This record gives sequence, structure tokens and C-alpha cells, in this order.
Amino acid sequence: MSSFTRNAEAWNRRLHFYLGLYFLLFLWLFSLTGLLLNHGRWAVSLAANARTESRYERHVDLPAAGTDIDRARTLMDQLGLIGEIDLPAQQPGVLAFNVSRPSDSSQVRVNLQTGVAAVQHFENGHLGRFRILHTFSGSRYNQPATERDWMVTKVWVFAMDALAAGLIAMVAGSYYMWWQMKNRRGAGLLSLAIGAVLCAWFVSGVFPRG
Amino acid sequence: MLYRWTRDLHLYIGLFISPFLLLFAISVFFLNHAKVQPDRWSEQRTVSRLDVPADIGTRKGTAAVEAARAIAVRAGIDGEIGFTRVVRDTNHFVFPVSKPGREASIDVDVAARTASISTRPTSLLESLAYLHKMPGPHNADIRGNWMPTRLWRGAADLTIYLTLFVTITGVVLWWALRAERRVGLVLLSLGTVSLVACIHVLLH
Repeated sequence: MSSFTRNAEAWNRRLHFYLGLYFLLFLWLFSLTGLLLNHGRWAVSLAANARTESRYERHVDLPAAGTDIDRARTLMDQLGLIGEIDLPAQQPGVLAFNVSRPSDSSQVRVNLQTGVAAVQHFENGHLGRFRILHTFSGSRYNQPATERDWMVTKVWVFAMDALAAGLIAMVAGSYYMWWQMKNRRGAGLLSLAIGAVLCAWFVSGVFPRG
Repeated sequence: MLYRWTRDLHLYIGLFISPFLLLFAISVFFLNHAKVQPDRWSEQRTVSRLDVPADIGTRKGTAAVEAARAIAVRAGIDGEIGFTRVVRDTNHFVFPVSKPGREASIDVDVAARTASISTRPTSLLESLAYLHKMPGPHNADIRGNWMPTRLWRGAADLTIYLTLFVTITGVVLWWALRAERRVGLVLLSLGTVSLVACIHVLLH
């Protein structure tokens, strides 16, 4: 074995646990929140649904021009709201937008004639805030109009992507390390094959009807 | 002896869950960055002479899903029923049915006893994303109304529990390497600080 290969193998091994250690708590966070999301009827999940609601109305200075997003931003500043903006279906004479972040969310409906903003505000509990970290990306793939526009969300999405890339690198590196252990190839292959077949079966979507 | 057992369990369990970890990791990129038009149906057809229960408009929860399931089976569509909705104005009963590889919407004209079936195939990446999100927190009372969804919930749970096990054994194996403790501790601390900083900014 050349010194280059030996070096590469040593670094591959190091990279495996360096990445693992760096992302350890991220992985635990997404594992535990994943369990909560998987079991909506667990008592702890039901507790995570609890949130406090308040409503208020306030006069706002209507922005003269701009896109709906620009106008929503201006109004958010006036109302003291922070977070990711989401534009629902619009009704004539009303500018509707929602603002959300893990700790709270607001549904704002601004009457464009009277300049009155009606705000419905929801404050999430600690468990709800914890759980929403798993899904808080500011964008939904099946709602093409949604765009993430809050810098904090962009940073969080970068962290999610980095964790995913780190996991892929760790798995790829582990395959190489395992394959180098000749006396463990057989059992390892069996273990990997069972996992792969089971996973492929779910992905295929082909199930017996019953 | 204990070290060898720990190392072997870390290896074999890690290999077993690795396809699931790849599924969850790859789908993250799709969930975070992809855009699809969910209502661009590629195929539409009509099924007639359906047995539609007389009380379908008043059914709720699992009873409504039961009625929807019978109609879906008659239409040759299998999958998880996302929700059911009654459109009072037109007397229609509408529900989506999804599974990896296909999404369908079934719109039942209750009075005419016919159903319009719209379907579209989903890509491999969208299928991975679908599995990543299933069963999810919404409509918890009816979620898992299709056997494979319940099985998938078990598989996803198992992946989580085994991931926790693999990470704990990974920490034990790292700690046994005295020469790597210092760098490892620095990285563990950096990761912890990054996570805490992210959460702090997100929540405040």
C-alpha cells in the first residue's frame, strides 16, 4: 500500500468521526424532533401543538407602491413583526400575509381602504418551538410561490444542508472503511443488503393491495 | 472484548441504516430547494357507478377515510389518503391519495356517483421527499390509514433509534482513541456552539 493511500485512509477515518462529532447534536436534534413529527398523537406531541392566540388591530401607513412582498415588509416593520413571509391567496381590497418563525407566527390582513391591519398572533410553547426547528425552511417544494426571504432562515437551511452533506460524506467514507476490513465484508454486506432492500421497497411504492 | 463488540455493532448497524440515512439526507436538498407544480396532472379519467354512502357528506375522521378508501379501491388507486373534504355547494367529496411514485386527486360527484381521477407520477427525488415527510404531524387522527405508511413509520422510528445508538457507540469509539480526543473535543464544542447559536438566533 502506498503512503498516499495510507494517508488517504487515515484521513477518511478521521473525517468520519470529525464530521460525526461536529454534527452530533444537530443529528440528535433532528432525530428527536423527527420522532415528535412521526407520532402526532403522543402526549408530548400534543403538548407541542399548544400555543397561545391573541388578536389586535392597528392603523398602519399603507405603502404607496411595490410588490406584495415589499409592502408586507414595510408593514411588518410598522407592526414590529419579524420572520419569514408567506403570501396566501389574495382577496380584493385586502393585503394578506403571514409571518412566521419558530417562536411565533402572525396572520395579518390589511384593509387597503381603511388602513387597518388585523393581526392574529400565535405564540408557540417550548416544545412547539423545538419541534418546528425540524421543518422550518421558509419554503415548500409543492408550493412554488413560496420563497425564503429571512436571513435567519437562510442560515438555518444552510445548516440543514451541511448536516445532510456531512451525513452523505460519512456514509460514503464508512463504506470504504468497511470494505477495507476483509474479514467483515460478508456480514457487512448482509447487513447493508437487508437495509438497502427494505429501503428500496418503500421507495418503489409497490405494495401488495389489501 | 467490549470495544470489539461496540465497534462491530457500530459497523453492522451503521451499514443497515445507511440506505435510510442516505434517503433522509438526499431528500433534504429536495425539500429545501426544489419546486414542483403539484396540480399538473398527467392523466385524468372518470369512474362511474360508484357505491357512494348516503351519509358521506356528514362523515368525519376515520369514517370519512373509510368511505374514501372504498372509492379509491374501486378506482384502482392505492396510497395514503391525505384528508377528505366535502364541497357543500356542489355536493362533491374530494380527497388526495399519495404514495411514492404517484400522487392522485379523487373528486367524487356524490349525486352522479362518478369520480374524476387525476394522477401524476412523481420523480425519485420527490418520492424520497414524500417518505421523508411521512407520516408527519398533520391530521394525526387519520394518518397511517394505509398499511405501508404505518410500516414506514416503524422503519423511520427504527432508523432514529438506531441512529442514536450508532452515534453513542461512535462517541465511545472516538473516546478510546486518546490521540484524537483533543481535536474531537474541539469539533464537538464547535458543533455545539454552532447549533446553540443557530437556535438562539432563530428563537429570539
